[in-house]
Amino acid sequence: MRSVFKVVENRRESEWTHTVFFDQEIESQPGQFMMVWLPRLGEKPFTLSYPNAVTVKKAGAFTEELTALKPGDEIGLRGPLGQGYPPLKRPALIGGGVGIAELRLLALASEAPCFVLGGRTADEILFYEEFRELGPVHVATEDGALGHKGLVTELLPVEAESYAVCGPERMMAACLPKLPAERTYFAVERYMKCAVGLCGQCTCSGWRVCTDGPIFPATTVAQMDDFGTRRRSKSGKWEAV
Amino acid sequence: MIPLPDIHPPLINASGILSYPEVFAAFESAGACLGGYVTKSVGPREKPGNDNPVVVYPPDGAVLNSLALPTQSAEDWERDLEEVKLRKAKLIVSVYGGDASEFAGVTRRMSRFSDAIEVNLGCPNKEPGEQTIMESIGQNPALSAEVIERVRDETDKPVIAKLSPNSDYLAVADSCMNAGADALGCGNTLGPGLAVDIRSRAAILAGTTGGISGPALKPVNLRMTYEAYARFRCPIVAYGGIETWEDAVEYILAGASVLGIGTAFMRKSTIEAAALTRDIWEGIQNYLAGEPMSALIGAAHRTADGVGSHA
Repeated sequence: MRSVFKVVENRRESEWTHTVFFDQEIESQPGQFMMVWLPRLGEKPFTLSYPNAVTVKKAGAFTEELTALKPGDEIGLRGPLGQGYPPLKRPALIGGGVGIAELRLLALASEAPCFVLGGRTADEILFYEEFRELGPVHVATEDGALGHKGLVTELLPVEAESYAVCGPERMMAACLPKLPAERTYFAVERYMKCAVGLCGQCTCSGWRVCTDGPIFPATTVAQMDDFGTRRRSKSGKWEAV
Repeated sequence: MIPLPDIHPPLINASGILSYPEVFAAFESAGACLGGYVTKSVGPREKPGNDNPVVVYPPDGAVLNSLALPTQSAEDWERDLEEVKLRKAKLIVSVYGGDASEFAGVTRRMSRFSDAIEVNLGCPNKEPGEQTIMESIGQNPALSAEVIERVRDETDKPVIAKLSPNSDYLAVADSCMNAGADALGCGNTLGPGLAVDIRSRAAILAGTTGGISGPALKPVNLRMTYEAYARFRCPIVAYGGIETWEDAVEYILAGASVLGIGTAFMRKSTIEAAALTRDIWEGIQNYLAGEPMSALIGAAHRTADGVGSHA
């Protein structure tokens, strides 16, 4: 259920991104998510980057507070929730922006991974040095500061036995036609409310991302007309992705 | 009275659960044994509902939610319902408003898409500063009757008055039936209730309180079903803690003709949820052993000599 932990460390990863460590490890499948609760502020879904940490990019009031937590502060967690990645053999882990953080636990659980990472600047390529110890790392940055100058999709295809993609939805949608559907998994993101399959808020073409996903095989994603195009906002009204 | 549509199997989702037509279509494709689907309550204008957390599920069988009726506008709902059609299952549109004329306005837009209109008279949740529908309308027999009368004028579809267990529901039901309701919904979530986090010393739900569902609700709405059937002998759509076929049969024996499932879908994928509905329907059929369900509706009211009623 929902438990409250103590923050033990706040590590700055980049200008916009922090990893917040808490005092207890959580057993989860890579790709499953936690609902992170800050009492009186709100509750939002994040994937663990360590068994006892989430890596968060500042993108609004909630994440500003979350990335400002200090040792001794409290953090509420509900989960792990949803379906994670199946065990992957020799995977290419394709990440964009803060989506790279989700790939860390998957990388540690995978045999012989390689990495295809993209960001606006070198600063956004999280865990770069750590990933280089695990396997080959291909990088694209929009400003050319690290690796290929351009988009991560321009590095595809790469040779691998399986593929996992986690990043901004438009980047993932651009990856979809470039990867073999039967060996590829995507991390789908939607606005979540209950996060346990009841309210239907996080629908992506009728699949409830919180319980049918968030990790979906590409064969399913290919059937989702909403993927890469539209999502339901807090009221249920459609908005463009 | 307008009969309810033939909802077969007589199982539906509860309003606010699954919520959207594309989710219903996914359940239908996955082989869910739901003969009908109820939309999230459609309101007159866009409203975001409460901030998160909107749900608490302590390990004691009670689930609290405080969604507080988020809705896109009725016009946007029209577009959604144009876009997604169910193959076989019936569609029930749940409606709400701040007063009778808003209920009527939403019904006017929704009627053509629906096989029945469910009137939400009992939502116990609110955004900060609002009054709940339960307080403003659903606990008041005269105002509830006014809503039903105005809704009745806007649709030729059967009208289900969904009651709050936290009301003098037989008095409200009596007014609603006199005002033209065709069936009763027994009932909404209970309460609202409260959950407090002892470490942060804060109410957990952003909306502070939340409607109670799940196993804790079952005996309450079962009793409402029983009493409403005894009084009105009308079709009853029952909701509240139905997780197994045995729960469903209890409600049928108390007087329900359609059963709504909600909290039991918690943490279930579409495939798992569809399997649950099949289990419930198979269990009901095995229990019926060839008898028509109509023979068992309200059977718990029969006295030892097979006639009359305890109620």
